[in-house]
Amino acid sequence: MADLIIQILNGLNFVLVLIMVAMGLMIIFGLMNVINMAHGEFFLLGAYTVVVTNQIGLGFWPALVLAPLAVGLIGMFIEYVCIRHLYQRPLDTILATWGVSLAIKQLIIIFFGPAGLTVSPPLPWMISVAGINYPAYRLFIMTVALIIIAFTFYIFLRTDFGLGARAVIANRDMAATLGIDTRRMYRTTFTFGAALAGLAGAVMAPIMSCDPQMGLGFFIPAFLSILVGGTGTLYGVLAGGAIVGGGDSLFSYHYSPVIAQVVIFSLAIVLIRIRPQGLLGARNNE
Amino acid sequence: MNKPISPAISAARSPGLRIRPARIALGVMVIFLLFPLTKNDYWVVNLTQLMVYGIFAMSLSLVWGYGGILCFGHAVYFGMGAYIYTLIVKGMLPGFTGILGTGIMALITAISGVALFAAVIGYFLFYGRLSGPYLGIVTLAMAVIAERIAVDWYYIGGYNGLFSIPPFSIGGYQFIDPLALFYLVLSAAIAVYLLLTHVVKSPFGIILRAIRDNEPRAESFGYNSARHKIITFVIGAAVAALSGVLFAVVTEFVSPTLIGFSLSTEVLIWVALGGKEVILAAFLGALAVRALEAWLSELMAYYWLLFLGIFFVIAVIYFPRGIFGSWLADRYEHRIKGRS
Repeated sequence: MADLIIQILNGLNFVLVLIMVAMGLMIIFGLMNVINMAHGEFFLLGAYTVVVTNQIGLGFWPALVLAPLAVGLIGMFIEYVCIRHLYQRPLDTILATWGVSLAIKQLIIIFFGPAGLTVSPPLPWMISVAGINYPAYRLFIMTVALIIIAFTFYIFLRTDFGLGARAVIANRDMAATLGIDTRRMYRTTFTFGAALAGLAGAVMAPIMSCDPQMGLGFFIPAFLSILVGGTGTLYGVLAGGAIVGGGDSLFSYHYSPVIAQVVIFSLAIVLIRIRPQGLLGARNNE
Repeated sequence: MNKPISPAISAARSPGLRIRPARIALGVMVIFLLFPLTKNDYWVVNLTQLMVYGIFAMSLSLVWGYGGILCFGHAVYFGMGAYIYTLIVKGMLPGFTGILGTGIMALITAISGVALFAAVIGYFLFYGRLSGPYLGIVTLAMAVIAERIAVDWYYIGGYNGLFSIPPFSIGGYQFIDPLALFYLVLSAAIAVYLLLTHVVKSPFGIILRAIRDNEPRAESFGYNSARHKIITFVIGAAVAALSGVLFAVVTEFVSPTLIGFSLSTEVLIWVALGGKEVILAAFLGALAVRALEAWLSELMAYYWLLFLGIFFVIAVIYFPRGIFGSWLADRYEHRIKGRS
């Protein structure tokens, strides 16, 4: 019983971080029509920010602020030098961001080497409730993720920026004719999405092994979540993240991580055959 | 919209204008045929391998450049072809003995098995109306998963792959001599080139380009776009499987890296840099990038991939038609700007 609860908590942990990553990806895709193949590398950069602050003796906590800032700035830079030129050719952005992802990964290898690095957990004690011991740090991750997810919902549903962003998602040209500066909105969005991924990477760094391939491990499930949940709505990401992340944890626990991936992937493909717009997505014929 | 006549139609109307690329193709073919006269054994062996990658790149050119299907997992077909062939000729696949275990039958089984797999995948993807970026990521996921399966599956060699594949033989003749292998691969490359150019120029190919350039319009003319894409996908997969088999024949080993993410994305770079809308350009792109890589990765070590990534981004932004693509393309085949 205790084992099961711990597994459920671990699954929830994965789901919440996955939703954080997927939300950034979804916002960038929904708003800008850009599939950001470098999103996994933003996660990676966030994780390596923690490695750096650890190496120079600052410990873990400053990275929690530094990671989203640094990765957000990098995102802004990439939008400026690369993606900005491709808004007229959305399909090419997938190639360009993939080139960016290759370059970032290689830079990490040049600076930190290809091997995995570990970071000591910042809250090394257990919390025990009703005879179940659970690492305090994992609870901390869940709290951070919940706060960030709620914050993103608040921005998109309750602020002027969010209203503008939803208008752009619904109808880009109409929003532009109504005076919304779409270019500026693109840049803000891309920066925000990158920062989200950076923060997710930073909080996950202490419980993962940081290696240059770790980004891909989050990018693919994040994208499958969007696919399953449907684009255009933030609730879709919640549903998709819960199904993909939860299913992945469940099957990994009962069988093996490889079987889990195969099952989830097959399910996702069958699902989009039946419901191409995703579970909660509205059909958007462009 | 005051678009000029669709490039596909104008190309169909004036077949005579295609002479230029055909001449270049002939020239390239003659150079390759005569190359062994230089007696440079090192490059004969090297070129044999490069041509295998070239065949692989041509298959992606059909799927991506003509079919408009951005496939991030094309190596799955390459790797599957290589693995199926290897398992059969090594006698590891139960039931494939005697006549079924020969090189030729292994080749045919590998190609048809992969084609069947692609047809099933294609059915779900294209009738699911997946397109553009979605298709890219789903195929990417497919590649990553295929690689993990290959690594974890002990029976097919796991992480180390399979070694000492017996040489390919037809009717008792064994292809061991490097020169024989060179001509074997070269004739496969020529056959694939002719097959793919034929497909592209046929009425089927013209409909395919019409779908690529404007899918709703092509559908409103009554063409079943999903079916056309599936057929293209299957042809591309079959050719990729052939190149995978040739890889196993030439290098005598297979490993999980053949089936996965890195080769899938590498071939995408070759084709994008060469020029995805011209089959010969894709072939030359693969040869050029691989040859450059062999030379520069010694010089630059880790910096080579960094350089390649940045160069790729620049090429995507400034040369969307590829390096050989604009040079080899028909004057009348210019793509409508802003579509890709």
